[in-house]
Amino acid sequence: MSDIKGVGLGLRYRHFKEFITDKPYVPWLEIHSENFFSQDSTSAKYLAQIRQHYPISAHCIGLSLGSAANACPMRAQHLQNIKATIDWLQPSLVSDHLSWSASDQGHYLPDLLQRQILIENPSSYLSYVNSPIPEWEFLSGLVKKTGCALLLDVNNIHVSAHNHGFDALKYLANIPIAAVKEIHLAGYSIDKIEGKDVYIDTHGHRVYDGVWQLYEKAIERFGVVPTLIEWDTDVPELATLLEEKHKAEAIICKVKNMAKLTIPQTKNEPIAS
Amino acid sequence: MTKLAELQSDFLRDCLSPRPHSKNLLLTKDIDTSQIAASGLMGIYQNSAIANIIAVMKLTYPVIETLVGEDFFRASCKKYILSHYPTSANMDDYGGEFAEFLAGFEPAKQLKYLNDVAQLEWLFHLSSRANDASSTDWALLSNVAPDDALQVKLLLAPSVKLISSAFPLDKIWQMNQENSVVNQEIDLSHHHGQTCLVIFRRGLKTEIMTVTVGEFALLSSCSKQQSLTKIIEAATSADNTISIDETIKKFIALTIISGFKTA
Repeated sequence: MSDIKGVGLGLRYRHFKEFITDKPYVPWLEIHSENFFSQDSTSAKYLAQIRQHYPISAHCIGLSLGSAANACPMRAQHLQNIKATIDWLQPSLVSDHLSWSASDQGHYLPDLLQRQILIENPSSYLSYVNSPIPEWEFLSGLVKKTGCALLLDVNNIHVSAHNHGFDALKYLANIPIAAVKEIHLAGYSIDKIEGKDVYIDTHGHRVYDGVWQLYEKAIERFGVVPTLIEWDTDVPELATLLEEKHKAEAIICKVKNMAKLTIPQTKNEPIAS
Repeated sequence: MTKLAELQSDFLRDCLSPRPHSKNLLLTKDIDTSQIAASGLMGIYQNSAIANIIAVMKLTYPVIETLVGEDFFRASCKKYILSHYPTSANMDDYGGEFAEFLAGFEPAKQLKYLNDVAQLEWLFHLSSRANDASSTDWALLSNVAPDDALQVKLLLAPSVKLISSAFPLDKIWQMNQENSVVNQEIDLSHHHGQTCLVIFRRGLKTEIMTVTVGEFALLSSCSKQQSLTKIIEAATSADNTISIDETIKKFIALTIISGFKTA
């Protein structure tokens, strides 16, 4: 049973010290696996300290799962690095992004890592003319065929729905309920390109209202799925991330008619080994 | 090549094009351009990729950014990225040729010290990510036969990096740290001699230490895994007043010299 529950935060270098010294209460943290390939590195040593108090989810960013072998071969060394990092860290969840398209590698990766992988839906800005099925159908097929679970990025759905003009609620309604094991929330930017507003998935802002509304619908459909606040560019003070976390918790409480989501702790206690 | 591989290959070529706004993008025939032209769509991907890579470079080269300012830094990074696209998904590996790039970057031509500062920052980055040294039982040195003693090689810890420069890199570095209280003008035209620096990690802290030319020669010789004979020769050639004994003890105490190897 996973110890990843409630609303967690993406762990970024700027906040390492606070998580080591102050230990603000956050039920779990998510790291980018590629930042900790060297277990002797300073950042990995900090993470080892943080890990004693916080359950960790490992989010990979470079497996390039959808790459066709000829265009971008999956590098064996990278896979081995991921495996070594996961073996060392023993995260509760492991995820990566769906790149552009189908891949048989979804079969291979869980065998190598000996665990189920969560695949994240992408944000996108262009669509192919020969794209016969919608993204949700592709994801559902992927789950069925490979046994992977889904990391549903609600912000990505909102961004892509705007950019491509599809119905975000229809997307949610067509995702298999049991497959969703984690949700991501983040902020996006708006660029005007050739007179059209394009939403760009920058992870550099607070979560927008439209994404919060979609998140509420997601919790209604998928239940209280572990949720992550992601912020990767212009990373703000930890207090800002905690505010976003509280907003997500308030939505969960509202949907589930709960008074309070988490045990009222102020600090994280050591995790029993 | 499968259709998927072809699409991805075209996508990469378009995305890496220095001018994605040209009309000759390979993907044009394959994507929906009814709302935005292919050049506009590909520009989104390129800008997004470049912004993400610049964010990585800002972490590796904060002193360079402080020295040249954010706009210049971004512009030089963008130029660098387009000619040095990442080849590894581990972004810790990225940016090692930035110093060399800056040396040949026309707009930075007047700032001759930038190249060395960038080199220092890259070594600092490598040092903070290096493996720990394995522990050494120095008592085993007593097993070395007296006749073989000068053949012993002294090993540097994996985090140890060496750099020397005609510029006062140590002062430039200190003045441009986030919380620096040092505020003085450095007259580069009146700086004489070499600045010799050792970058190394103690516990969780990566440090930069200024050393003498003799100490630098000694450590450089160690880094080449030369014998004690050669180490002594290199150090005394650079500084005939150096105490080899004291210097080696000092670097062992700092865990800069972390082990030895017998012939």
